Amino acid sequence: MIPMLMRLKVSRNPNRYGVLLPVFLVWILLFALMIVLLPFVLIAALLTWRSGQGKWLLLTYPLLISVLFHLSGLHIEVENREQNILIAFL
Amino acid sequence: MSEERTKILEMLQQGKVTVEEAEKLLAALASPEEAKSATPKTDCKYLRVIVEPGPRSEDQDRVNIRVPMKLIRAGLKFAAFVPKHAHASINQALHEKGIEMDFAQITQQDIEDIVSQLSDLTVEVEGKEKVRICCE
Repeated sequence: MIPMLMRLKVSRNPNRYGVLLPVFLVWILLFALMIVLLPFVLIAALLTWRSGQGKWLLLTYPLLISVLFHLSGLHIEVENREQNILIAFL
Repeated sequence: MSEERTKILEMLQQGKVTVEEAEKLLAALASPEEAKSATPKTDCKYLRVIVEPGPRSEDQDRVNIRVPMKLIRAGLKFAAFVPKHAHASINQALHEKGIEMDFAQITQQDIEDIVSQLSDLTVEVEGKEKVRICCE
């Protein structure tokens, strides 16, 4: 399932911020951009097909979507004396 | 013991095949049930990397990363996008690190095998910092 929200928490003494970012809005924009770019990608793939790069160019779309769909559950937390940063995809 | 297995062991005894070759042949002969039982468990969902300061460490940096295994699989597929002319540089860099490996020879199946074997992985390094890598 594609993550809908991103939790961002920054603690920098003495301040603390925590936000839930609606990343689904980013995905909507990204998918719209991908659709707009699709004809150009197809043309580029056709032009570079003989060199063997066209195939990989076509594969970028499913691979990118695959990465985005599996971002859910990613949790990164970095902490030191001064600050603490947490990024988590929900 | 089946006839084929006996033949392979005989060939090994006679020195017609090496131990590695015999092992491969025996593995190929394994029944589907045996092969199934030999496959590693795949219930590992996340790869966890934890870095904590050691007892003698001056830094108090802590890192806690949890990466979904599916994301690792998806991300590794991008390795196919590495241009062919970069392979030589990668091999050179690996050689400098003491790793004798040909990057061009790594197939998608190899990557899949490595990722599937990660479910049994637990690495614990204790030095200046404590590093723990495990599957959850």
